[in-house]
Order: sequence, then structure tokens, then C-alpha cells
Amino acid sequence: MRSARTLLATSLLLCTAGCGVYALPAGATTQAQVLRQDWMVFTLAGLFVAVVVFGLILFPLFVWRRRSNDYPVQFSQNSKLELIYTIIPLLMVIALFAVTYRDEIIVEHLGAHPANTVDVLAFQWSWRFHYVGTAINIVGMPNAPPQLVLPVDETTRINLTSSDVNHEFWVPAFLFKRDAIAGVKNSFDLRPIRVGVYLGRCAEFCGFDHALMTFTVRVVSQADYARWLRAGGSSIVLSSEGATL
Amino acid sequence: MSRAITTAPSSLAHHGIIEWLTSTDHKHVGILYMCTGIFYFLVAGLLALVIRAQLSQPEMTLVGPHQYAQIFTLHGTAMIFLFVVPFALGLANFLIPLQIGAPDMAFPRLNAFTYWLFFFAGLTIFSGALVNGGAAATGWYAYAPLSEISVSTGGGQDLWIVGLLMSSISGILTAVNFITTIFLYRAPGMTMWRLPIFTWEMVATSLLILMAFPSLAAVLAMLFIDRHFGGKFFDATAGGNPVLYQHLFWFFGHPEVYIMILPFFGVISEIIPVFSRKPIFGYTGLVLSAFAIAGLSMGVWAHHMFTTGVVTNAFFAAVSFLIAVPTGVKFFNWVGTMWRGSIVFTTPMLFAIGFMLNFLIGGITGVMVASPPIDFQAKDSYFLVSHFHYVLGGGSLFAIFGAIYFWFPKVFGKMLSERLGMSCFWLLFIGFNTTFFVMQFLGVMGMPRRIYTYPALPGWGTLNLIASIGSLIMAVGVLVFVWDVVTASLSRKHAPDDPWGGYSLEWWTTSPPPEYNFTSLPPIRSERPVFDAKHPELVRSGNS
Repeated sequence: MRSARTLLATSLLLCTAGCGVYALPAGATTQAQVLRQDWMVFTLAGLFVAVVVFGLILFPLFVWRRRSNDYPVQFSQNSKLELIYTIIPLLMVIALFAVTYRDEIIVEHLGAHPANTVDVLAFQWSWRFHYVGTAINIVGMPNAPPQLVLPVDETTRINLTSSDVNHEFWVPAFLFKRDAIAGVKNSFDLRPIRVGVYLGRCAEFCGFDHALMTFTVRVVSQADYARWLRAGGSSIVLSSEGATL
Repeated sequence: MSRAITTAPSSLAHHGIIEWLTSTDHKHVGILYMCTGIFYFLVAGLLALVIRAQLSQPEMTLVGPHQYAQIFTLHGTAMIFLFVVPFALGLANFLIPLQIGAPDMAFPRLNAFTYWLFFFAGLTIFSGALVNGGAAATGWYAYAPLSEISVSTGGGQDLWIVGLLMSSISGILTAVNFITTIFLYRAPGMTMWRLPIFTWEMVATSLLILMAFPSLAAVLAMLFIDRHFGGKFFDATAGGNPVLYQHLFWFFGHPEVYIMILPFFGVISEIIPVFSRKPIFGYTGLVLSAFAIAGLSMGVWAHHMFTTGVVTNAFFAAVSFLIAVPTGVKFFNWVGTMWRGSIVFTTPMLFAIGFMLNFLIGGITGVMVASPPIDFQAKDSYFLVSHFHYVLGGGSLFAIFGAIYFWFPKVFGKMLSERLGMSCFWLLFIGFNTTFFVMQFLGVMGMPRRIYTYPALPGWGTLNLIASIGSLIMAVGVLVFVWDVVTASLSRKHAPDDPWGGYSLEWWTTSPPPEYNFTSLPPIRSERPVFDAKHPELVRSGNS
């Protein structure tokens, strides 16, 4: 178990170093840390299957090219082998499912007492962030994306819905998205772990200005967040730390 | 060869336009389906080139958001409903009676009717481009409420609905025809367990069509009622539910994915044994895996809805994972067939190998996106675009090219050029992987599908440019193919009846086959009667 973790961490490091910007974001919430592990498990399993099966496909092409007009031995079955190649993939997907099942429960778990709650309304073609229990309402426009301010190391509950067509709330750095559907209230928790500014956008095609339906998430220190709330959501009070990620 | 067919082959070139318009011969209907399908492939391919040109650099302004939405909607709709499915149905139309030793389909006139219904369905969908407001612009799955009249006011959406309704009815009737033909019209000796794999895959495909297409017809009818007769099926403010649209659509839409791949599993399972010069490995397992895939595929629809928050993700993830098992079985069948074979590298074989390599990537990424935690990032991103293009483009499309190169001599009595065919393969294979491999990275980095423009974020411009260059390489490959078809059609050289040493009954008759297909049949004692007749010394003793 320990060595598996080390292997996972090493390959994660290798991938991040090797691919630079061409890689999965590091994962800026505690939930994303779990999601990132899933990506690693599935990527490694996928690479393993790819190497084995590519090998099985390519090997005969090099070894058993036609060399004469004689037909080879006309065999066509092997029950034991057929059973084995059915059972091994079955065991693999059962294992993968176990990982998936465990992690989805962690990621979708709703804490009993979130520190903050934000109602997010999606509409054609922007977002409204309402901080529950305050008068703070941040409304964006297609060319003026709104900013969602979240405190670091604290859980924020998001309640998501739409006032018109289907939209989808996606922050790639959080490795997470969820649909905004009229008549459906979707709730999830985010617990950011790194101060910074993250890009977010609508992921479900929602009409012509879908591409411009973006927003930013600004994760700030808890002290900054408290000051920001007291100032009624004015971002002037925020210290300027953190680059766009 | 002992048989002597003296009747002149019904040379298709000598048929006038009236014969083509009124023919009920399954071969004519099949050719019409396939040629119409290829026409829409070229159209949808041109649209894809416009998409790749628009996305080749950040902030491009070649087309605007309104045009872009129409273009990707028509690209997806045409590739799925007007190319891949009709091509599969056309190939099956041509092959099924020949493979089972029958003179024609069970219902020849119904057969012709389904083609013409499909023909007008395509015109109806594309005629949207001529009406006020333009063609449908809501993507190939047209989610309500976006496709409701309050948002999508134009007539293009209505023409799209009506066109797809026509094509779904056409598909249902075709499936009835296929099943009846295969169950009742087999030649003496052709038991079910001697059917060629392609025909078996069409049994599974036809059953899937019968189960899935009615759901498509229903959801389209409901959307039409919502739009014009005050229905509130998908209107949350009046007690309707937008999620219902997704359930009904994907109850059709996921089996549809297998309707678009099972026939091509069949194609690959015909090509690989012939060019490995061995029988297919694990025939029974291969057939059962088709039905396992078909059955499981009816229970996975909500894996398209993992992020809606209102479905039982665990169940749909589990069933989706299970599909990997019978799909894996097929790969091992193909590997087992090549194992200790005597492999001949012809153009159809190259496309079959390309199919396996590409489809494997589509399958692996498919297992990934079947996991909800991964789907939370991958869904609606370019990772997903890459995944389904590996399945449909790298999979079905490569099998279609393999099928064309394999059966062209049988269908038209002319040989395509091996030299041009191999150039076509390498251009398509390199171009395809250049285009779609990098999209996996774009997806995990955060690029969503269906955006007409994007900012100059780190790495985005480079990867998109690579993808666009790949699409140009593919376009050259398609041009080589078109050139090959044109020169082969004009050539006077006649193709032999059995250029490859084929196994199934279509290789027994002339190229092209005469009206009513056969003047004689060999004894049918295995799934490869033509091979048995030509190589009696190699007939396996255990053959039943």
C-alpha cells in the first residue's frame, strides 16, 4: 500500500514535470485532490492496458507475415484461454469500480455545517453569485465575467440552478463540474486549499454566447474573506496576492 | 474453379436513372445508402474543416457564434444520422442476402421505401440552412429547454426534428426487414451458428434499433409538441422537467453508439480472418459478446448525465464498466485470429489494424469517462471530443474505409488501387491521430467543446494548431480516396469474383452479383463455405 502510494506520487510528479501546462491541473480543492488520484489510477491502468493490447496486436504483424502460399494451422478456439481473457478484464473493471465508488462518495459528501453558502444562478449568458445570509449579489455579463470569492481552507456550499436553459458550472482547476438545470437544485461543497485566481466557465452548450459565459474564482485568506464580507463584497479590500492559475 | 456462371453480371453502369430510382434490388438499395452516406461524409467533413480552421488560433473570426453553432450541429447530425448509420445499413443491405445465400431481402419494396425516407430526411435536415434563422444550432442532441421555441425560434430546429423523425422510422423499418430476412431467408445448410460474423452483428444491431429508435421518435415528437402545440414536457416552470429530455434522448443515444459500432465489429471480424488466412478465433464467444454489448448498452444511458446530480451514478458507472469486458473479448478474438496466422498486408487489412489501434484508445478513454469522478472533469470537454472521435472516427470510419476497400470489387466489379489505398490509409491514420490525440490534453487543461472562440491561454493555441494541421492531412487522405474511386470506376479492368480468397458466400457469386445473386451455392457446413469448397483438404474435422 505504502509503495503503491509512493509510485503514484512519483508518477504524478513525473507527469507534472514532464508535461508542464499540457497536463491535468494540480487540483485546488480538497475534493480535487481525491479526483486527481482517480485520474492517476485510471491513467496508469489505461497505459498498462494500452501497452499490453498494442503489443498483442502488433506482435503477430511482425512475426507471422505470410511467407509462403501454404495455409497455417486452421485452429479456431481454446476454451480455457477464452475464459481467462473474459475473467481478467472483469476483475480489472471491478477494481476500478471500487475506486470510483469510494471516491465519488468522498467528493460528493455534503458537510453538515458548511462555513459559507453561495447560491449560484446560471442564465444566458452569465452567472449570479448570492452569498446566503448577506446582501452580497454578484451578477456578471457575457463580456464582464463575475468573480466568485471563496475563503481558503473553509468549506463553501454551492447551491446551483438555472433560470433558463441548461448550463454547467466548471472550474477546471477544481477538476469538477455540475449541471445547472431549471427546476433542479444541485448542491456541492468546495474546500479550496490554495490562494489564487482560477478560471471558470459554462461547459454545457447554452446558445450563441456560450463561449463567453465565463467567471473567475478568487480564493483568499480567511482574514481577507471576512474583511470582504464586511465591506459588502467590495474587492478593493482584498490584498493582491495570488496569480491567475 | 468448378462452377460456371455464364449469365452476364448485371453491370450496374448499364442501369438507367429510372431503374436506380425504382429498384427494389437489395444491392441497388445498399449502394444508394452507401453512396448517399459517403456524400454526407464529404459534406460533414468539409464542415469539420471549417471548425478546425476557426479553432486553429485563439480569437479567430472566420465564422461567428451563430454560424459556428449551425456548423457543429450539422457536422454531428450528418456524421451520425446521415453517414455512419446509413452506411452500416447500406452495407448490411448489400451483404446480408449474399452472406446467407438469399436472392433478396424479405421485404424488397419496404427496403426501397426506407432508403427514400432516409434520402428525404437528409434533405429536410439540411434544408434548415435555407430558412430564416438558419439550420438547427443546438448540437446533435438538442437539449431542451435550449431547443424549445422560446429560445430556438427558427424553423431550422423544426426541420431537424422532422428529418430525424423520418430517419428514425426508416431505421426501425430497416431493422424489421433485416431480422425477418436473417431468420427466414437463409439458404439450406446456413444454420444460425454458421452465419458470418457481420450478419450476426447485424442481428444484434437490428434488435438495438428496435429498442432504441422508438425512444428517439418519442422525444422528438414531444419536443415538437412542446414547440407548436403548447406541450410543457420539458418546461420546469409549468411542471415539466428538462432532465426528462436527457433520459429519453440518451435511452436512444447510448444504444445508438453501439448501433454505430457493432456493424463495424462485424466488418473487422470479416477482414482479419481472410488476411490472416485462418478462421475467426472464438466464433461463439464473439457472437455472444455482441449480444452482451447490446444488452448492457440498454442500461448505461445515464452515464451521459453523471453531472446532472439527479441520477444514480454508481449503477450506471458499474454497467458502463462491464461493457469493457465483452468489448475486450472481441479484441482477443481478433488477436487470436492473427496469432500464428499468415498475415497479408492489403489495404483492407491495414484499415482493420488501424481500427483496432484507434478503437483501443477510444475504449480506454471510454472506461475513464465511465467513472463519475473522472467525468466531472472530462464531460463536455475536449477530452470527451477526443474520446468519441476515437470511437466513431478512428473506429467506425476506419472500418468503413476497410469495408470499401474489401467489398468494392464485389459491389462494382472493379478493383481499387492498392498503392493509392495504402497512401489513403497512412494519411488518414497519421492525420487522425494528430488531430484527436492532442485534444485529450486540451480537455484536461479545461477547454470545453462547442466554443467558437477561446482566449490565448498557455498551450491552447499550440495544441489547437496541431489538431487543425492533422485535419488537413486527413483531408488529403480523403482526396486520395476520391481519386482512387474515380480512376477505378473509369478503368476497364474487371475485378475477379474472389480477389482476396474470401470465406463467406458473397465471394462465390460473380462481381458484381447478378440479379437474385446466385446461380449455384456450395455446400454450407461451416461459417466459411467458400473456403471449405476451395480448400477441402483443410476442412477442420470437428466442423459441425
